[in-house]
Amino acid sequence: MPTADGTTDDQQEHRLHALLPFLQTQSQTSLTRLYQRPSSCLSIFRLLGAVERQLVMNLLWLDLPIQTSTMSSWVTREGKALFDDALASLARLHFLSNNSAIKLGLSTTFKTSMRHAITGGGTSVSFGVPAEPDENRSAPSIDALDAYALERWETVLHYMVSSGTGQTPIKPSQGVLFLLQRSGLMAMNQGQLQITSSGFQFLLHTPHSQLWELLLQYLQMVEERQMDLVEVLSFLFMLSTMELGREYSIESLSDTQRAMLEDLRDYGLMWQRRASSRRFSPTRLATTLTSSLPPLPTATSTGGAKDQGFIVLETNYRLYAYTDNPLQTAVLNLFVTVKWRFPNLVVGAITRESVRKALLNGITADQIISYLTTYAHPQMRKNRPLLPVTVQDQIRLWELERNRIKTQEGFLYTAFASQADYEYVLNYARQLDVVLWENAAKRCFFGSVEGHTNIRGFIERRTGGSGG
Amino acid sequence: MRAVRGVLITCDSAVKQILLTLDERPGQSFIIEDLDEFHVLVRADEEQRVRRELEAELEKNTYSMEA
Amino acid sequence: MDGSSHLSLIIDLSPSQWHLSAQSSNPHPLSFQTFLSHVLTFVNSHIASKHENTLAVFGALPGKSSMLYSSLDADSGNGNDPPADANSYRPFKVVNSVVTNNTQKELDLIGGLTEEPPVALVGALTKALCFINRLAHPPSGSLVDEAAASADPRILILSVSPDLAASYIPVMNSIFSAQKLKVTIDVCKVFGEETVFLQQAAHLTGGSYIYLERRDAFLQYLIMSFLPPPSLRHIIAVPRQDKVDFRAACFCHKNIVDIGFVCSVCLSIFCSPVAVCSTCRTKFPMKTLQRLNASRPAIPPANGVSNGSPRPPSARPSTGMSASLR
Repeated sequence: MPTADGTTDDQQEHRLHALLPFLQTQSQTSLTRLYQRPSSCLSIFRLLGAVERQLVMNLLWLDLPIQTSTMSSWVTREGKALFDDALASLARLHFLSNNSAIKLGLSTTFKTSMRHAITGGGTSVSFGVPAEPDENRSAPSIDALDAYALERWETVLHYMVSSGTGQTPIKPSQGVLFLLQRSGLMAMNQGQLQITSSGFQFLLHTPHSQLWELLLQYLQMVEERQMDLVEVLSFLFMLSTMELGREYSIESLSDTQRAMLEDLRDYGLMWQRRASSRRFSPTRLATTLTSSLPPLPTATSTGGAKDQGFIVLETNYRLYAYTDNPLQTAVLNLFVTVKWRFPNLVVGAITRESVRKALLNGITADQIISYLTTYAHPQMRKNRPLLPVTVQDQIRLWELERNRIKTQEGFLYTAFASQADYEYVLNYARQLDVVLWENAAKRCFFGSVEGHTNIRGFIERRTGGSGG
Repeated sequence: MRAVRGVLITCDSAVKQILLTLDERPGQSFIIEDLDEFHVLVRADEEQRVRRELEAELEKNTYSMEA
Repeated sequence: MDGSSHLSLIIDLSPSQWHLSAQSSNPHPLSFQTFLSHVLTFVNSHIASKHENTLAVFGALPGKSSMLYSSLDADSGNGNDPPADANSYRPFKVVNSVVTNNTQKELDLIGGLTEEPPVALVGALTKALCFINRLAHPPSGSLVDEAAASADPRILILSVSPDLAASYIPVMNSIFSAQKLKVTIDVCKVFGEETVFLQQAAHLTGGSYIYLERRDAFLQYLIMSFLPPPSLRHIIAVPRQDKVDFRAACFCHKNIVDIGFVCSVCLSIFCSPVAVCSTCRTKFPMKTLQRLNASRPAIPPANGVSNGSPRPPSARPSTGMSASLR
């Protein structure tokens, strides 16, 4: 029978979007203000997990809250845990109304806005005011916008990857540099910005999570820049629901939002003819914010296929990358020994040395493997599994090799007067859950640093009490 | 009763033998106590040096095709 | 599991059935206008769920079927491009206006007919399957992205017309194609009596068949039962029919039969014992025919020619050139 069940990837299901934990820490007042805009509701809704989304939809058109017991019949027995998680997550986002112990319903603000989003209506102007067509100049083409966004974005990444290599690539703007430093992706080292270990990891992420990582950092800084977080968030969400290739007017934007224009131009999220222009065009980076599609589908590689995949990896560890993109080449250089370079092709091998270099930079084996998977050439996609198992295993083994020993600081307690003494102290230490190693024959045990003060106090009280 | 401050190293037995050999080098003793087959207690201030030397020792045992 | 999903929606656009449905003598009259607005809200919810979700809408009209909307070529402004507005999400607006306009156009075209031929449900179903097949096998070098290709496809049929016995064989063939393509077929019977063929379609492809009882709660039915993509249905409980009418239609007169006679060679179904199978020309022994004929009104006897039918294991095993159902 074909399949309504079966092929699922539970791992993906549990992966929370990076923005949600941030939203969950915000106050109910701010969130309620945010939810007044249908575009924000729609965008956040899209970031939710599949079960959450279905629950919101189930509740959306109900006028009255319903009994939680009724709701539990909406899920199968196996789905109960996921269902409970989903409810908890929705409650933390303040999607649910407050009296949620017995009866459940969506909060009024969210419900109204979400209904408006789905049916179109209301007067919130939250999806952006389209600019009047300009008689003299036509709007930028989608290709031009893509090229612009790509150029901005790659400037940032390229700057990161080539820091410390002696090359001097184009510097991104001050705002971007500051953001990179604040997020810990780069750090000042002898008067120069140098990429950090988390920066190396960042380079191997998908463009999508890179973008969100930077935006989250941007959101963290909002308050110290005296900007209104709700305005900032709702502007980002508005951008994500806009249409690529259309020009929008800045008329309806608040002051905070106008102040963001410059930053967003720097990140490549939007394009403006001049800084003083009264109109702007969102780029693909912005319009795909709430999707998992690659934000920049047209990589500049002219040699390879138009899509993302350009890497062929063979079982003999040799790697062929069909790219002429200096950024991709530089990123590959992080964990590949490059042998030859041709106009449209880089040939190299994954070697112990190259992987060790990456590991020393703080990159993990999983990150290398996931990068290779993400950018695998369409030809590779026919393979099951996608990457040669030998290579995957070896990369993991090389990582394990660096972890031959584990070290833990603490105290060795030894030379106990009697077996009873030993057991008495050991039991106490066990209760504290600080015992890392023990040996009854030698009558000694090793406890972690954290437990030492307590154990010492315990022994002193005991010896003091028994008068010895 | 005595409490000795140190770093507990958990490792496989091959690595432990290397550690014992390193410890025997004149003037470089770092092991406080040899606990059992998989555990050794070493001086806390020596941890980084031990890691480095172990790394160098293990490196002697790897061979690369590329060479 | 949280990948994108594809929905092909088939709307039954039989004017006469919709006329009947809107009669105020019904317990819950449902006019086509209300129906359409609920459907549009539902498809918007589908698109809202994931940026990459894809949608196609097909109309089954009297005597013909046509594609009303496809998210593949939605943006190629084909005349009915709605003006941009700041209060609505554009993709929703485009879907709404394209579907409404095309539906109206198609209904206007058939407006002049005096006698209404049955709706071409099979045509719409086949078109939907072809569309899904095209999504699943994008021509190399095309711009159709992989997300769409890997989507977990399903078809939802919103039916108001009764079964058309003549379409038994093409419906079954569509079901088998759907099985092969791993497409789930969901059915919502919005108006009219239960349809045997669509029950089987849903059952055989792992979909849901729902007979709409509370027609005033149509949207809620749609969202709770048909919005979760098939991959989510091991978590979200969706209603499924508890009993399925497995009756088949005979190949000779296209009647839905309670007791059918099945050719042991090619599994064709007949309403009465035949000497020669009309499909594969197999000749059956005279004796068997006589015995089968003799025992017809009762439960069919054992050891005839053989048994089998192009259906899932039905209620009881039978060994004659016959199969009893129900």
